[in-house]
Amino acid sequence: MEKKLSVVGKNVIKKDAFEKVTGKTVFSADLDMEDMLYGAVLRSTVPAAVIKNIDTSKARALEGVESVLTAKNIPGRNAVGIILKDEPILVEDKIRRIGDAIAIVAAKTEETAQEALSLIDVTYEEIEPIFTFDRAIQEDSPNIHGITNVLQTKHLRHGDVRAGFEKCDVIVEHTYKTSMLSHMFIEPEAGLATYENGMITIYSSTQNPHFDRGEVAAMMAFPQNKVRSVQMTTGGGFGGKLDISVQCHAALLAYNTKKPVKMVRKRTESAMVSSKRHPMTIHARTGATKEGKLMAMEVTMRGDTGAYASYGPAVITRAMVHCTGPYVIPNVSIDATFVYTNNPMAGAFRGFGVPQVALVHEGQIEALAKELSMDSVALRLINLQHPGAETSTGQKLGSDVGLETCISQVLSKRKELDGKEGD
Amino acid sequence: MKKIMIRFTLNGEKYEREVFPNMRVLDFLRNEMGMRSVKEGCSEGECGACTVIYNGRAVTSCTMLAGQIDGGEIITLEGLSNKGELDVLQQSFMEEGAVQCGYCTPGMILSAKALLMHNPTPTHDEVRRAISGNLCRCTGYVKIVKAIEMASQKIAQE
Amino acid sequence: MIRQGKGIACMWYGVGNTGLPNPAGAFVEVLSDASVNLMVGCADIGQGSTTVMAQIAAEELGVRYEDVNVTSADSAVTPEGGATSASRQTFISGNATKKACQMAKQTLAEVAAEVLQVSRERLKFENRQIYDMDNLECKLSYRELMGEMAKRGRLALGQGYYNPNTTMLDPDTMQGSPFEIYSYAATMVTVEVNTDTGRIELKEVISAHDVGRAINKRMVEAQIEGGCAMGQGFAILEKVIVENGKILNPQFSKYLIPTALDMPDIYPIVVESNAQAGPFGAKGVGEPALIPIIPAIVNAVEDAIGVHFYELPITPTDVIRELYHQQKLYEGIE
Repeated sequence: MEKKLSVVGKNVIKKDAFEKVTGKTVFSADLDMEDMLYGAVLRSTVPAAVIKNIDTSKARALEGVESVLTAKNIPGRNAVGIILKDEPILVEDKIRRIGDAIAIVAAKTEETAQEALSLIDVTYEEIEPIFTFDRAIQEDSPNIHGITNVLQTKHLRHGDVRAGFEKCDVIVEHTYKTSMLSHMFIEPEAGLATYENGMITIYSSTQNPHFDRGEVAAMMAFPQNKVRSVQMTTGGGFGGKLDISVQCHAALLAYNTKKPVKMVRKRTESAMVSSKRHPMTIHARTGATKEGKLMAMEVTMRGDTGAYASYGPAVITRAMVHCTGPYVIPNVSIDATFVYTNNPMAGAFRGFGVPQVALVHEGQIEALAKELSMDSVALRLINLQHPGAETSTGQKLGSDVGLETCISQVLSKRKELDGKEGD
Repeated sequence: MKKIMIRFTLNGEKYEREVFPNMRVLDFLRNEMGMRSVKEGCSEGECGACTVIYNGRAVTSCTMLAGQIDGGEIITLEGLSNKGELDVLQQSFMEEGAVQCGYCTPGMILSAKALLMHNPTPTHDEVRRAISGNLCRCTGYVKIVKAIEMASQKIAQE
Repeated sequence: MIRQGKGIACMWYGVGNTGLPNPAGAFVEVLSDASVNLMVGCADIGQGSTTVMAQIAAEELGVRYEDVNVTSADSAVTPEGGATSASRQTFISGNATKKACQMAKQTLAEVAAEVLQVSRERLKFENRQIYDMDNLECKLSYRELMGEMAKRGRLALGQGYYNPNTTMLDPDTMQGSPFEIYSYAATMVTVEVNTDTGRIELKEVISAHDVGRAINKRMVEAQIEGGCAMGQGFAILEKVIVENGKILNPQFSKYLIPTALDMPDIYPIVVESNAQAGPFGAKGVGEPALIPIIPAIVNAVEDAIGVHFYELPITPTDVIRELYHQQKLYEGIE
């Protein structure tokens, strides 16, 4: 017997709505504390270089400047990253993208902090930048990290794709390309950090305060319980506020000045530095019998994760696992390679690669329908996942597959609207 | 630069303040007047998060200088419910679920308020046009438009 | 000339992540006046997870939505919440919240059973009352129960965490169970393509989503509507332009996103398949909301002008270029 629900399913008014419609909600940039300083970041203007020297003496001498810090001021681990710790909090030697953080400043006013940045002299030697997938995988290309520019290569194998294609009467083959996209949440990243009684507290705009705690603790070589991470009301994220933004920099400045430090990104800094959606190139071959039964799919995917991995490895896996779409295909072979380049960092963005592959499975279905002279909805219905069906990873689906209902409801709504228009 | 004296009305109260004439109205309202509902989103007059009502019109306060508001009248979101009662727009934004992250909400409500002040019974397209300078990345604007239409109906019934 | 086209597309989306451990936790305390403190790690980024957690807790404990106060995403107070990403929080933090409430309820039920002299299994918690489901007259109000709890020196505390049941994928073949459950959706769009200007206008969207169970239907609709806007940007508007590693359009004046004037009529449809593993049957909708509209737009444009675009976004220039090629092909020049 299904339990009668009294609160679940109700359109209650959201807990945060009153504060938000009255303008009382405190976002990170709205925080103010006594003796508060303003932090700012000196960022690289070149995509690939080796730092030879950073001279901060003029910036330090500027009145109103309380702290100028570089990599050598980091007590613990100078690396952050959601899956791989490959991004320096402050660059020690190698610049890997435009926007890499080189030095940070805390000053009494925002203007002074900005002026101090302009007084820092960085000497570097530029090296060959890599901007394309093809250049990244060449043997003689410089390595952005470690010994290879390949972030990951993965293979999915299900059934026997060659035998599958042999049973096909029609095969379609296309290459799909998607662009780099920006989250453009309306609130730029911001945060404030304090250091009191041996404890660092960070208030920030974030999608994962517990992750931020771990990264700050590792940077400071603090136990995790000496770092408190509080999410302030966050003005949208869509995946772009999962990476560390201001948290480590503000914490390091607060620790060194013993004063609260606020950091607020301007829109351009936010859009230059935050992660982006992975641009992807996907080549797909899909085959079906003349009755419209999907038999085989073969795919190669290429992605550019830019200078740092961020959520890249998760994007690869999700894209591959979802590549068939919600259809049963008994024979599947997918090869995916993502590389590092000196382009902006790509990471999590609403859908983790699945929007990209949705273009592929839905494009292929349409192409096959045309070849088969079938209605594309009918072709979908023949191949739809159903309770108990097997996915391309060999997983057996449970009873909760509601796709057929989704399609029929969409079609009946269409009919209803057409009826109205016809009236 | 020399400070100048400006006189203006903010949320129904008269003020006199000395300001640098080149200070942005956005910074003036946030930092000098404590109006923290005025949000900075883009700094170039594109996103509308910093929208305020100036002399009855919705404007972006990041593209105005403090000197310009001398003699003028400004309304921020704080001014809509300052008599302890929610404005009908605030009420309908809550009831229709028109608020998600909330960062665009102050500017969005003020653009809607400026519209309803001049045109209490706008058409669907007039509503959409009035908020077309306010970007929202969460809602797809659907429930925002609905909330404004609901507020307009409530006003008509009163 | 204006040409109209319709396109449909489907999608699936795994919830409860990728063969890796993926836990989130919750703490709960029912106070002596029967109000509730819920502490969840889950970060609300505007989508409404705090509201969802309060609804789940209220339902499970049998109190009102207003009775639940939520503290979220503060590492000194709340347990690990994991990321607010991958459409996971309703499912994972929702399950954690439900489990925390079940633990508190166990203590409450022990005391209620003692007072009402019935077995614990027969107790029902609903609408601020605890009663014998076989004898509705045999009941206690929540406040009475909390009074009995106080007399006995008992506290109604609960903690819970949830980690989805997944398996590590085989490293060579990626075979395994990467997600505990899957959300599904189908979307149909109507577009108008202006063959003179190349402009694509989205007129109507019908988007049906199998979310398992809508904890809050209006918030599910809001996700679908927001996803339609962002998906429209993906399909026909947005692109970060990078030259020599530099982003040339890092601002709203050069990186255009949809405005209120770009929005079509949207008809969201909520389908409930009741996921066994989800809290009250819920899955996730945050990302699914974005996905199917993108290929649906591509397919609708093809329906309108006979060209399937393989590269996104489809700009007016792309449309004009392809129509020009089409015309040349038709005239036999190419």
